[in-house]
Amino acid sequence: MIQLAEDSNVGGPGAADQGNGHSDTMAGRTIHVRVLRQDGPGGESYWERHAVPYEPNMNVISVLQRIAERARAEDGRQVAPVAWDCSCLEEVCGSCTMLVNGRTRMACSALVDRLLEEHPGEIELRPMSKFPVVRDLKVDRGRLFRALERVEAWVPVDGSYDHGPGPRISPEEQEDAYPLSTCMSCGCCLEACPQYTKIEVVQREGESAEEFERRRTAAYDRGFVGAHAISQAVLFNGHPTGRMIADERLQALTSAGGIQVCGNAQNCVAVCPKHIPLTRSIARAGRAATVWAIKRLFDR
Amino acid sequence: MSPAEAETSFFSRHQFLISRLFSLSGLIPVGAFLVVHLVTNASVLAGPGTFQSRVDLIHSLGPLLVPIEWAFIFLPMLFHASVGFAIIAGGLPNVSSYPYVGNVRYTLQRATGMIAFAFIIWHVIQLHWMGAPLGGGKFDPHHASSSAALALQPVGVAILYAIGILSAVFHLANGLWTMGITWGLWTSPAAMQRANWISIIVGVLLGGAGLGALAGMRRVDVEQARAIEDRMDEMKRMLEGREPGDAPLVRPVATSAEGN
Amino acid sequence: MAQPRVLVIGGGLAGLAATMRLAELGVGVDLVSLVPVKRSHSVCAQGGINSVNALTRQQGDNEWKHFDDTVYGGDFLQHQPPVKEMADWGPRIIDLMDRLGVPFNRTPEGFRDQRRFGGTLYKRTAFAGATTGQQLLYALDEQVRRYEVEGRVKKWEFWDFLEPVLDASGRCRGAVCQDLVSMKFKAFPADAVILASGGCGLVYGRSTMSMVCTGSAVSRAYQAGAAYGNGEFIQVHPTAIPGADKLRLMSESARGEGGRVWVPRTPQDPRDPRSIPEAERYYFLEERYPKYGNLVPRDIATREIFDICTTDGLSVEKDRLCVYLDLSHLPREMLDRKLGGILEIYEKFQGVDPRVVPMKIFPAVHYSMGGLWVDYERSATGGMEEGSIRNQQTSIPGLYAIGECDYQYHGANRLGANSLLSCIFSGLFVAPSVAGLATASRAGEETPRLFEASLRRQEERHEALLGRRGGQENPYALHQELGNLMTRVATVVRRNEQLAAAYDEVCVMEDRWRRCSLSDTGNWTNQNVVFTKSLGDMFPVAKLILKGALLRDECRGAHYKPAFAMPGIAATDPAGKRREAEAWCDRFEANTRKWLKSTIARHGADGHPQISFEDVDTSLIPPRPRLYGLVGADVIEEVWKERSRGAADDAPAATGAGRAVAAHV
Ligand SMILES: Cc1cc2nc3c(=O)[nH]c(=O)nc-3n(C[C@H](O)[C@H](O)[C@H](O)COP(=O)(O)OP(=O)(O)OC[C@H]3O[C@@H](n4cnc5c(N)ncnc54)[C@H](O)[C@@H]3O)c2cc1C
Ligand code: SF4
Ligand code: SF4
Ligand code: FES
Repeated sequence: MIQLAEDSNVGGPGAADQGNGHSDTMAGRTIHVRVLRQDGPGGESYWERHAVPYEPNMNVISVLQRIAERARAEDGRQVAPVAWDCSCLEEVCGSCTMLVNGRTRMACSALVDRLLEEHPGEIELRPMSKFPVVRDLKVDRGRLFRALERVEAWVPVDGSYDHGPGPRISPEEQEDAYPLSTCMSCGCCLEACPQYTKIEVVQREGESAEEFERRRTAAYDRGFVGAHAISQAVLFNGHPTGRMIADERLQALTSAGGIQVCGNAQNCVAVCPKHIPLTRSIARAGRAATVWAIKRLFDR
Repeated sequence: MSPAEAETSFFSRHQFLISRLFSLSGLIPVGAFLVVHLVTNASVLAGPGTFQSRVDLIHSLGPLLVPIEWAFIFLPMLFHASVGFAIIAGGLPNVSSYPYVGNVRYTLQRATGMIAFAFIIWHVIQLHWMGAPLGGGKFDPHHASSSAALALQPVGVAILYAIGILSAVFHLANGLWTMGITWGLWTSPAAMQRANWISIIVGVLLGGAGLGALAGMRRVDVEQARAIEDRMDEMKRMLEGREPGDAPLVRPVATSAEGN
Repeated sequence: MAQPRVLVIGGGLAGLAATMRLAELGVGVDLVSLVPVKRSHSVCAQGGINSVNALTRQQGDNEWKHFDDTVYGGDFLQHQPPVKEMADWGPRIIDLMDRLGVPFNRTPEGFRDQRRFGGTLYKRTAFAGATTGQQLLYALDEQVRRYEVEGRVKKWEFWDFLEPVLDASGRCRGAVCQDLVSMKFKAFPADAVILASGGCGLVYGRSTMSMVCTGSAVSRAYQAGAAYGNGEFIQVHPTAIPGADKLRLMSESARGEGGRVWVPRTPQDPRDPRSIPEAERYYFLEERYPKYGNLVPRDIATREIFDICTTDGLSVEKDRLCVYLDLSHLPREMLDRKLGGILEIYEKFQGVDPRVVPMKIFPAVHYSMGGLWVDYERSATGGMEEGSIRNQQTSIPGLYAIGECDYQYHGANRLGANSLLSCIFSGLFVAPSVAGLATASRAGEETPRLFEASLRRQEERHEALLGRRGGQENPYALHQELGNLMTRVATVVRRNEQLAAAYDEVCVMEDRWRRCSLSDTGNWTNQNVVFTKSLGDMFPVAKLILKGALLRDECRGAHYKPAFAMPGIAATDPAGKRREAEAWCDRFEANTRKWLKSTIARHGADGHPQISFEDVDTSLIPPRPRLYGLVGADVIEEVWKERSRGAADDAPAATGAGRAVAAHV
């Protein structure tokens, strides 16, 4: 069997430190961070400055972790840690979207070295502007998920009982569908879209949770569905089984807040961290909607 | 259909149809008219006579001209403009944060739309109805080149025209490209790139025609043109058997134009 | 409760599979998760999902072999019937996921493509690009969303499970959870509660797991009385990219597609790796394990990489341990098509293109084989009896555990691409069991009072935390300390003196935790208090891991103690070899008798884990030595074969059916 070093105090996995191609000149330096905070929904927002020691290979998440650990602003005042969302830390879960130096992106893949090159001296963090702020950098992206319901982004199978394999699919079709299927619902495309505007519904005095939810859903449903949902509709309309309810998806895409709201700014595709060909999806959905609408005109 | 659907307005229920009609109206008839208009006007480069005969051709519609103008130009344009303004009001341009080419074009599309619209209103009122008080002078279909030349003589007017024309041309050419996406004519990035070339070529040609017309008009020798136009008018009158003075000609207010 | 209602905690693959199936069976589901379920940790899984398939079948593969590979890979430490059932279900599960729209990679003819993963000789692994977990999770998420629209499922996202609510008889009647936005508490009465809360990587500070893998839910169930099995078995993945906030995984599929692991033969060779000639490269896995090459099982790959850096001093860098994982010899187009996703991760976080330059990688904590002890009912065919309410039930009646948070399927070591299968399988399989229970059982009279008491207890705990003043301890710093300690003593190589000392240290840390003061004392989206709470719940888990590791004096799967390793054969002459092999086999048998037992931890009233051992049902495949690459493996194997033939003649098959919890240690 394998013989191991009698002395294994070299440290377990990951204990040894990292650091890959960073500039040594930064060592010992401080990173200044400006965070736009807000204590709760509808509250006033305010800027707060933080300073954290520079470490090689840092990303915005580790900066926020240091801020939480210090719990002090740059001026030494004791402050509550900044609230934010994250989970996977490898840009697949879609949690950590925020405005970093004014641009929507994933905090976990926003590397400090690169941010400082982009904008020396300071990193600026703001919450997404198209969704209601819950607190600090944490926003409520419920509308984004609601849009997936609107376009029925699923394959309508009979159920989970065994019916053998799914349909045969050519490698070309798979390669076409796969990128669309990597959408992690991060909302970058919506944040950057000039046609996607914020909808914030506030619970009224005496309104029950259910009533409030119904009213909010209705408000969301009048708003733009967004590039991500259009792309999901295209994904499922391309799937042999998903296609069976293609009409329902096109109906959704051509109702209020549907594809017609898109103004072809193409920001969505430029900011999507997953490089999803969103404008291709939008154009495909546009074509399908055209054909469908004309057909409906004559078939009715 | 979602529960929200029932309680929404006519406009939001027919949002898709309206915006497709909006998109269509930008091309046909508004865009098509722009092409015809600019190409017709550019014919002035071939001489005042050519231009006059083109204008005559249009005016041969006689009393039908006004309803046709309203049905195929003004109303569609007003429709296109009012839906356009609604769309602009619903958007939130953000080029400063996202200075991508597509976004710049998106913002320019809106800006040029608004400029072109303002320009067209002014252009119509100035040339058709009021003339000098709005700058330049008034257009006279029987003295197409000369009246236009006089109307466009002031440098300020010419500059406004250049801006207006270029805005309208950009709006059309870029609109053509986005329209192809909206309707699903070009879907892949490569196809969009190819289509982009088409829209650039259309834009350059149309822009050339528009600016050519403008420059051509301004370069017209008013006296010479007037002579040609008078002769042509004479012949028309003879052919139609009209008496001189049947169609009272409003003399271009030469003084104000020349005095500038 | 007129309608049967089930509470599912966690919306990873396991939780979503269970929710989907329950909704389909007509049971209402409340689905609670710390994050929107679509953001659960399962999205991180890259490589693929195992099952026998039409292709491997024609190469001689079958469900039994998948089952055999799994138990062999797991060093026989798992009860065999559930594993057999899982392997049997494999093909059906892949078919189902295929129907749900998972974009599995395709062959030119349009069939699902497969790749080979560690611990097997067959290409069993179906995959969707390099984001298989994400694709599987999304497919289930979509189905659950569909049921949500139909009103059969209600999601509670950004909610924290705090404790199961037990009635006087000890049966679980629901749970109390907290809204992480409004910080309000709520009671969820339920006919059954299913925990699907994933792994506990955060106990190790940095790992390949997501930030929500705190293990808090499991710890809370454990503290409420649920037994915990095989806690000390923590898988350390051989190939991860070291990072300040997280150790990002480089999937096994990189090796599955032909990636080669090597170090320069000259220690810390300063040359550009691309310019080092073949002869000066040491492909140590290929040389030491010719049969499996770079695809040896994880525990072995991990120890070899660890070993080559520490013992042999051949780490690529001096002050940072790492080896090369090289893909640069493979065609770019193929890499992009099959591994695009993971290569992008490397490029994104390291700024170097792995298609051109060999990657630098090192092992990292990755998976917890252990978890809540769960029951099963053996079927007549040796599998699991579908629909039995015992399946996946923890030691608390009415409380179930599935997915990574149960201990059931992977024994001492998990094979690559087997976890996604076990998650979906246990999720689908638990549903009929729970559905039957949900319609049969009705909450008693005293339940409302139980919930009130539980709510009050949680509120008090919460208020006490918020109200703590003047403490000197910083929860984030304390968490790092815990992580560093656990990583140092309880990962690749374990030593009793270190484990014992670490146990005491953790107890001290737990004490210090009581003096943690909060920097946020508000009652709105207070992530500070939520983190501090979950940190507090990491200590019981850390302690049971350390205690289990301390007590288990042997090497098995991921648990490696050099002091108890069984060396290979030293003799060179045939007779000597034979003699040593006999002795080796004797020792192996003795060890099996003593240690082939699950470690069962129960939370003691004093806060210390009470450990007992449970016999393992090895009735289907008798344990045999894992001999991957051992010196003299051939002789030992020969001797072993002779012995097992003899045993088979003597007694008709080992039984080992006992599931009684045996002797306390
Ligand atoms: C980087 C990486 C790559 C992997 N690749 C593979 C692979 O290729 N093949 C393979 O088979 N396996 C792989 N695995 C393992 C596999 O991904 C996991 O074991 C599996 O996804 C676990 O799924 P789960 O459903 O049990 O839990 P998770 O997906 O972890 O979900 C846990 C859920 O529980 C919720 N939760 C947790 N605590 C609480 C609480 N206190 N209150 C409320 N909710 C809570 C979370 O919000 C989440 O929804 C990989 C693991 C990692 C880390
Ligand atoms: S192309 Fe459409 S969806 Fe995308 S950013 Fe522009 S307007 Fe928004
Ligand atoms: S399409 Fe891209 S940007 Fe939009 S939600 Fe999906 S992954 Fe994010
Ligand atoms: S934390 Fe998952 S995408 Fe950033």
